[in-house]
Amino acid sequence: MIQLFHVSKIYPPNSRALVDITLEIDKGAFVFLTGPSGAGKTTFLKLLFREVEPSEGQILINGQNVSRLNRRGVARLRQAIGLVFQEFKLLPRLTAVENVALAAEVVGTSRRASYKKAYQLICELGLKTKYKAKPPTLSGGEQQRIAIARALINDPMLVLADEPTGNLDPEVADETMQLFLKIRDRGTTIIVASHDLELIKRYGSRIIYLREGCLADDLWRVTQEKAP
Amino acid sequence: MKGAKLGFVLRRVRGSLWELVWNHVLTSGTMAMTLFVFGVFMLLQGNLQLMLKGWGDQIQINAYLDKSLGAAEIPRLIDQVRGFPGVERVRYISQGQAWKEFQVTLGAQSGILEGLPRDVLPASLEIAVKPEFRDTPLVEELAGQIGKIQGINAVEYPQEWVDRLSLIVLAVQWTKWVLGGVLFMATFFIVGSTVRLAVLARKDEIEIMQLVGASEELIQAPFLLEGMIQGVLGGLVAVLCLWLLHLFIYQQAPALLGQMGLSARIQFLDLKSVGLILGLGCLLSATGSLFSLRRFIKTWHD
Repeated sequence: MIQLFHVSKIYPPNSRALVDITLEIDKGAFVFLTGPSGAGKTTFLKLLFREVEPSEGQILINGQNVSRLNRRGVARLRQAIGLVFQEFKLLPRLTAVENVALAAEVVGTSRRASYKKAYQLICELGLKTKYKAKPPTLSGGEQQRIAIARALINDPMLVLADEPTGNLDPEVADETMQLFLKIRDRGTTIIVASHDLELIKRYGSRIIYLREGCLADDLWRVTQEKAP
Repeated sequence: MKGAKLGFVLRRVRGSLWELVWNHVLTSGTMAMTLFVFGVFMLLQGNLQLMLKGWGDQIQINAYLDKSLGAAEIPRLIDQVRGFPGVERVRYISQGQAWKEFQVTLGAQSGILEGLPRDVLPASLEIAVKPEFRDTPLVEELAGQIGKIQGINAVEYPQEWVDRLSLIVLAVQWTKWVLGGVLFMATFFIVGSTVRLAVLARKDEIEIMQLVGASEELIQAPFLLEGMIQGVLGGLVAVLCLWLLHLFIYQQAPALLGQMGLSARIQFLDLKSVGLILGLGCLLSATGSLFSLRRFIKTWHD
């Protein structure tokens, strides 16, 4: 599903974020991307949703070279990807349901259908009573669940999460990972960038380890995927 | 754009108009001021042209006839003059009639004519020129052709008037576009600045919309629509102010206008001109918004 061929990314003037990465990620995989700060984890994710373009190499998602996409193509690609960030990126003046529905509305779903689906997702994620709350009144874990609901509303083929548990306490981080597993079980590919080794040990079925922009390790292992 | 997306854009526009109301008032106000100044010149030009048309009706060529010309030859001469394409009508003034008219013109001082022979003034033709021939070179050419007719001694026409009137119209037209151009440029950048403020206020929203796959058109459409609304509102305010100004001049200063012989001629802008003001406002504001937004998004990405 995702193929990277000799991908490098150099930020001007000469900062090497990623160096000659070649790998494949199958549909429905649950992948952890890890490594120390500055290893290139965020750049790796940004390349996948075409926030940045590779300096060298090719990235294919479902056989489509993302570097060759025009602006409309990039918009379409992003409609098929759910993004989750450490800082949640929710709009404080909108309610939880409005934040989630926004992602569906921009792709042309009717208002009624967007709100209905947003409400269903919020309920599924256990925030039924908070659907009208605005983000500043929600806890970090609740905000992250709203952000995950937003990432899921367009039924994405791929979810990219950049340090999704970075601002959460361990218990809530566990809950969040459980959510990702549930999503993966629906057939969605999940790539999580994290440096939380405890979490990676517990949930990672494939761990891609980056160091100074290079692929240092690519581990496949059988893990206990359900929460203890 | 699909119905759902159109609804989304309209809701965003409504939300923005409400949330950033003072921002929009400022832009519309600036637009109104610019269009008002431009409109004042349009009003001035329109009324001046109306005035010039009235004066233009008085523009005529006087052709003085040879004294030896027999009465039988005059109809032929008149027909010959009427044959020119620029001639609207011809009026024959006999020597006697010219004398009488001159006496009337002199009024109380007509006594000075005593002792002079009654045929001292030549018979003449008063030739009215068609409106489309009232430009300086055309009047000049027509007068030259008439002057060459046998039996016509001299030709006279108010060259200075024609020149001056044409110059006034030209000056007003140029002032309107030069001043309008400067004001439009200034307004364009003011609109751009207010749009940048609006974009900054919604930077997070735009960023999130981009991340979830909103097309560029969908991101830009609300700003474009807001710009158009601001422009039309500014235009409407400008037209209203122009109407009030027109009313003030028409009603409050009749004496002054009367002295200038203008009271009956002051007219408001026609529908075409009102449309031009609204259209300019809409276009200026929309392009200002789009230009600024594109530059802002480009800088942001770079």
